[in-house]
Amino acid sequence: MQINLRHKGSVIILDIEGNLVGPNTIELKKIIDDQIRTADHEPVFMVLNLERVQMMDSSGLGVIVAAYASVRRDNGRVVLLNIGGNIRSLIVMAKLVTIFDRYETEAEAIASFL
Amino acid sequence: MGEKKQLRIFLSLPSTMQLIYLLDTIISDILREMKFNEEAQEHVNLAVIEAGTNAIKHGNKEDTDKTATFEFLIDDDKLTVIITDEGPGFEREEVANPLEPENLLKSSGRGLFLMEACMDQVEYEAKGTIVKMVKYK
Repeated sequence: MQINLRHKGSVIILDIEGNLVGPNTIELKKIIDDQIRTADHEPVFMVLNLERVQMMDSSGLGVIVAAYASVRRDNGRVVLLNIGGNIRSLIVMAKLVTIFDRYETEAEAIASFL
Repeated sequence: MGEKKQLRIFLSLPSTMQLIYLLDTIISDILREMKFNEEAQEHVNLAVIEAGTNAIKHGNKEDTDKTATFEFLIDDDKLTVIITDEGPGFEREEVANPLEPENLLKSSGRGLFLMEACMDQVEYEAKGTIVKMVKYK
């Protein structure tokens, strides 16, 4: 599992590579929690780029749902970028399509915060 | 011509979550060999990982002195997976529905739901310490 953290203006972008399954999800949770803590209750705008994530389980879903709920408390947002068919069907199955905004390009995802 | 004999693969794992990836490798190979379609492969893989996580993490509390077992029964038309743990068990009816609006933003509690959504049959025996899942081709 590899996670690359980037900033574009005030937007945090996490490029995630590998399967978001089991203990792999702990690293992502730690990075997200660190970013939220650093923001110190300022709104966090975060893009999770899932282009290179082939598989996600309930632990992975739990991490991104927790991120969504945490940043929302301070009027921030978490959006998903480039989700593949597997992840899309998982999100549909878990009824989370209405929760997460999803984008096909990074520019669209960033523009959604403006 | 008689039916092909059932093939049985048995796996016994100490309860550490690091071994979930071994489980992933084994079930992926079985599914490819059985020529399940791609969507079914993804679904069974996810269900087995969820059941393994439940057994190792929630059942056996990651106690490496306790064992989680995985039995794969391969037939022409279906795959049966039987998972056991040494935990205290649980009552399925007491596990909240993760699709209810008040549960949607909870960070856990989706494992059983995903297993049941991904497989054709899921049965819980011995207070949930034995889980039997079936996927038809």
